[in-house]
Amino acid sequence: MKLPHDSLQGTLIAGSLLTVVLYLMVHMLISNAG
Amino acid sequence: MDMPLFDILMRCFHIAFALIWVGHNYASVVQNPHFRPFNAETSEDARTAALETRMQREHGTFRYAAIVVWVSGMGMLWYRGWLEDVLTLSGPYAVIGIGAWIGTLMMLNLWLIMWPHQKKVLGFTPAPLEERVRCSRITFLSSRTNTILSMPLLFFMAAGSHNPQLFM
Repeated sequence: MKLPHDSLQGTLIAGSLLTVVLYLMVHMLISNAG
Repeated sequence: MDMPLFDILMRCFHIAFALIWVGHNYASVVQNPHFRPFNAETSEDARTAALETRMQREHGTFRYAAIVVWVSGMGMLWYRGWLEDVLTLSGPYAVIGIGAWIGTLMMLNLWLIMWPHQKKVLGFTPAPLEERVRCSRITFLSSRTNTILSMPLLFFMAAGSHNPQLFM
């Protein structure tokens, strides 16, 4: 089974998407807490 | 020991050993951009005592670098009195908290998933050929998972210190 890990592009895209998703989650968490 | 000196030392250790650990992971991506299953013929033919010693030193260096990074990071948080707020992702501490949790996951991934399989692939622990081939896939995925996780890790670590306004 091919995974994002299997290519450099897939690895970079997965890492970037994860960064964006986590950023949005932390942004919402802090905004709501404030 | 003077406590500000402790903080400075921990920060130096944290940065230097993070470069060694994550740098090793990135070097592995450059050397092996695609998965290649373990091949006994090419691997065993090239094997010498000198190569084995070098591999042991290389793998030991980045494995223990990961522990130094984790301990120095947690040490700094403890020294500043931030540890509980960071680990519970409280308010603005959530930024560095996400980084701390990702780093913890990466260290556990390295020691508990990658290393037990990698030592079979590299022949440090005897294993049948089929097992070494199977372990080579797990090792590859585990290593690339840390590559993926390193991207948000570095973002949150750097952004937490330099761009806290990004999260407000």
